[in-house]
Amino acid sequence: MRDFEYIAPKTVKETLDVLDEYQEDCKIIAGGQSLLNILKQGLMAPEYIIDIKNLEELNYIKFDEKDGLKIGATTTHRSVEFSDTIKEHYNVLSEMERHLATVQIRNWGTIGGNLCIADPTGDVAPPLLAMDATVIIANKDGEREVTVLDFGVDYYETVVGPNELLTEIRVPVIPSNTGIAYLKYRIVEGDAPIVGAAVAFTLNEKGACKKARIGMGGVAPIPIRAEKAEKMFEGEKITDTLIEEAAKVASEETTPIPDIVASAEYKKRVIGVYVKRAAKLALTRAEKAAN
Amino acid sequence: MSNYSVIGKPIQRIDGYEKVTGAAKFTTDIRLSGMLWGKMLRSPHPHAKILNIDTSKAKKLPGVKAVITSADTLHIKYSNWRRYPHLMDETPLAEDKVRYIGEPVAAVAAIDEDIAEEALGLIEVDYEVLPAVFDPLEAIKDGAPQIHEGPTVKNNISEARHFEFGDVDEAFKKCDRVREDTFYLHPVSHAFLEPTNSVASWDLNGRLTIWTSTQTPYFIQTLLAMVLGIKEGNIRVIKPHVGGGFGGKMELFSDQYCAARLSMLTGKPVKIELDREEVFIATRRRHPMYYTLKTGYMKDGTLVAKEAKVYTDGGAYNAMGPTSLYLSGFFQIFPYTIPNYRYDGFHIYTNKNPSSAMRGFGGPQAEFTCDSQIDMIADDLGMDPAEIRLKNGMKPGHVIPGLAKVGSCGFEECVKKAMESTKWKEKKGKLPMGRGIGMGCYGFMSGGVFNWIDSPYAYSAAYIRMNVDCTVDVYIGSAEIGQGSDTVAAQIAAEVLGVPMEDVKVIRGDTDSCPPDLGAWGSRQTLMTGNAVKMAAEEIKKQLIEVTASLMVPNVVYDFDIKDGRVFIKDRPERGIELAEVVKTAVRAREGQALFGRGIYTPHGKGMVSPAYSFGAQVAEVEVDLETGKVNMIQVTTAHDCGQVINKLGVEGQLEGAFVMGQGYALSENLITDEGKVLNPSLIDYKLMRAPDIPDNFTSLMVETHEPEGPFGAKEAGEGLTNPNAGCIANTIFDAVGVRIKDMPITPEKILKALDEKKKKEGK
Repeated sequence: MRDFEYIAPKTVKETLDVLDEYQEDCKIIAGGQSLLNILKQGLMAPEYIIDIKNLEELNYIKFDEKDGLKIGATTTHRSVEFSDTIKEHYNVLSEMERHLATVQIRNWGTIGGNLCIADPTGDVAPPLLAMDATVIIANKDGEREVTVLDFGVDYYETVVGPNELLTEIRVPVIPSNTGIAYLKYRIVEGDAPIVGAAVAFTLNEKGACKKARIGMGGVAPIPIRAEKAEKMFEGEKITDTLIEEAAKVASEETTPIPDIVASAEYKKRVIGVYVKRAAKLALTRAEKAAN
Repeated sequence: MSNYSVIGKPIQRIDGYEKVTGAAKFTTDIRLSGMLWGKMLRSPHPHAKILNIDTSKAKKLPGVKAVITSADTLHIKYSNWRRYPHLMDETPLAEDKVRYIGEPVAAVAAIDEDIAEEALGLIEVDYEVLPAVFDPLEAIKDGAPQIHEGPTVKNNISEARHFEFGDVDEAFKKCDRVREDTFYLHPVSHAFLEPTNSVASWDLNGRLTIWTSTQTPYFIQTLLAMVLGIKEGNIRVIKPHVGGGFGGKMELFSDQYCAARLSMLTGKPVKIELDREEVFIATRRRHPMYYTLKTGYMKDGTLVAKEAKVYTDGGAYNAMGPTSLYLSGFFQIFPYTIPNYRYDGFHIYTNKNPSSAMRGFGGPQAEFTCDSQIDMIADDLGMDPAEIRLKNGMKPGHVIPGLAKVGSCGFEECVKKAMESTKWKEKKGKLPMGRGIGMGCYGFMSGGVFNWIDSPYAYSAAYIRMNVDCTVDVYIGSAEIGQGSDTVAAQIAAEVLGVPMEDVKVIRGDTDSCPPDLGAWGSRQTLMTGNAVKMAAEEIKKQLIEVTASLMVPNVVYDFDIKDGRVFIKDRPERGIELAEVVKTAVRAREGQALFGRGIYTPHGKGMVSPAYSFGAQVAEVEVDLETGKVNMIQVTTAHDCGQVINKLGVEGQLEGAFVMGQGYALSENLITDEGKVLNPSLIDYKLMRAPDIPDNFTSLMVETHEPEGPFGAKEAGEGLTNPNAGCIANTIFDAVGVRIKDMPITPEKILKALDEKKKKEGK
């Protein structure tokens, strides 16, 4: 690992000023669960490391019935996992966190960091995609809101500019009669998923699908939605046959990258299975919510 | 029934508290004043000539104290094969060429780690890249790049192993059926959690002390002496607690040599710690093997003849490969009786990091192929796989011509016990699609008769001193590496001398104070070190009984024993004397000399492999996800015959640990290389099983036999169970979904592919 200068700003404003000054020469560290590995492997050698782990300003979980959920970027996975607010209103996030990596990593790693490292297999993005979440990105002159769908640019690359900081994750209020599920596939427990699928169904008063969202991880350079498959559900009564067909379409919407763990064909096939399983679970939950 | 005080009981490990609380000191904890940090420069090429090494810039970097290359060595080839010098092919630093990516070329000592690292970047090495070869089947072809020169190596074959008994060709002709299968076994890493590391300190009296993470302190001492050109007695090897070895720490490695050499040059202590990537790319691994197995059998399931041919990927150096190759051929005929057998194994050099000993020592490869095939034979004959195993299983006293004589053998009982415990008969063939039950069996050695290192000392030795307060100091040279052997040694001494466990202190891991012992490999320490400890303790016991007899003057027909702090007449236990009193009297009677016992053990007349063999049977139940191919282990039951159990907790721990290691070998671990480059050199990408992945239900059943050669009748319990897991899991998967995977590891993707092919064949 190459030497770097360590800077730990006290406030968000100070952080944004520092970022503005050093731009490409610096990297932000929060929980350090990904960046440290990258530095150790020599894949990056920034001159400055900006540590935002202790920015209490960004460590929060807030909810109101109008704007929905707001999670500060440095909130740890473990805090999200145990938050009563999240359990009550966004339980799928709590479930996702409970199975994200290991306890040690969840104690350190942050939800904002997970999104920003932009590992396409990351657990956080698929459920956020299924809930139409957005993120707030700030720089010294102001802030902008970007959907999680538009957040990723490429493999390990996001829209966050060199002078910008992801500050908040926003999830809209979940409509009534909605069921959401996230399931992932991995060979060894505690490992990053090979693929993951999050499905959200909102049912109308007749029990047919009003809105469907399918978020998928590990099947393209960035987390993606299966938009064609989503459309197949809308307005329809959701049946096992429809789920099977839509899962096949979802699988066709992917462009997985082969690696030493699995081939592209295998990932394509397994994502179909997981979209199907997550859809069935989401449907059960939606029906339960509607009753 | 035995009437032991501590033998056979579930005894807490004597190092348990320190390990659980983190107080235990490992080599990495050793920090000495003025200590320098060493780092090694490694080859980026799988095969290249070294034209020139320029260290001048590195030497000029402030903070760098020494830089060494092969020019600073005595150019001595070494390895554990001192008795067979043609197999010694390694040098501490690459001489004229490099043969694998990661091979050490130079080493640096500097005042801190960063400077040492920076200095490596300043060493200029001119390489002439040579064509390389990575697959043993390619390496043996005429015209393939030659990795080693020398009269004993042709077509990269460094060693061939052949054994044969019976009349194999005639026997095949008489068989009702013959089947031939080919298998591929993949490479895996030992993945010990404590990386290889050492601290060496050269003192003003010309003596060297080295703290190092090893399974074999004596090998390190004697081989370091050889390559450094100093006396063995001037080297003190200290083995602190060791965080796992699994066969990967039983040789002298370059980091140990370099730490020592750099300390000699600088006069300061030098520490070298490999990082995880170095551990994966430049330490040892388990041998990949191409295995062809031809077996002839009768319609009633009797196995008649077997022929095995193995091409093993040895990597760039022999390491312990020739023994893995030998033992793979040997364990191929365990635990089933084969009257006619021919084995041809070839150890082949490739441009990859050397393969070597790894838990099971050739056995996991052998048992995967043997046990997969025996299930295929059972399937072919419509027989219950358990029945065919029982029909052909070894029995006590079984003789393998020219190779071995089996003493105690509880194989049959192991199979029956495992069947009964798992309700085999009720489940086999009756579980729904996707769920399966299967069996794997094994036999293993209790220490090797091998003495490649050419030690003139006994294989194991022990000294024991008994103090006047009845505390007992046991000095042993064996290596506790996590397996619990120190606790076993303490139990044996406590049992013989009739003292409680807490009064026995084990002094080990220091060649200055402990007798030489061949160390921890081949499951040898319970039997061999155990026998030495028992002999030493019995020598003291004899002295104590002599004193008691002279104090009590009973009729000479009586025998004495010691138990629970009392020396007494066996047949009249109420008549006796407190042990403390006897000990004090004995010391006084000997003009104040402490009570001292010495013990040794070396196997004699025990064939070519081992003084005793363990046996076992394992039954697993799995669920296979038919849509993804993922295997979920539901339960595993193992019945193991380790002779007399010494420590019940220890045996259970070993059986469970061995299974988890075997589960990883079968399902997920794979040291993947491309053109000689390891693609997954991290614990993120190298898929070890973790706590949540192991079966919820793990049952260890002990089948106790009495092994005449073992201390109190004990034999192996540490390695044998690494051997059957892969075959057992493969057989269980076959039972669950009807597909047979012969190409390891058994990944979900391979299962799914096989399921597709099966469906296609069945026309669905």
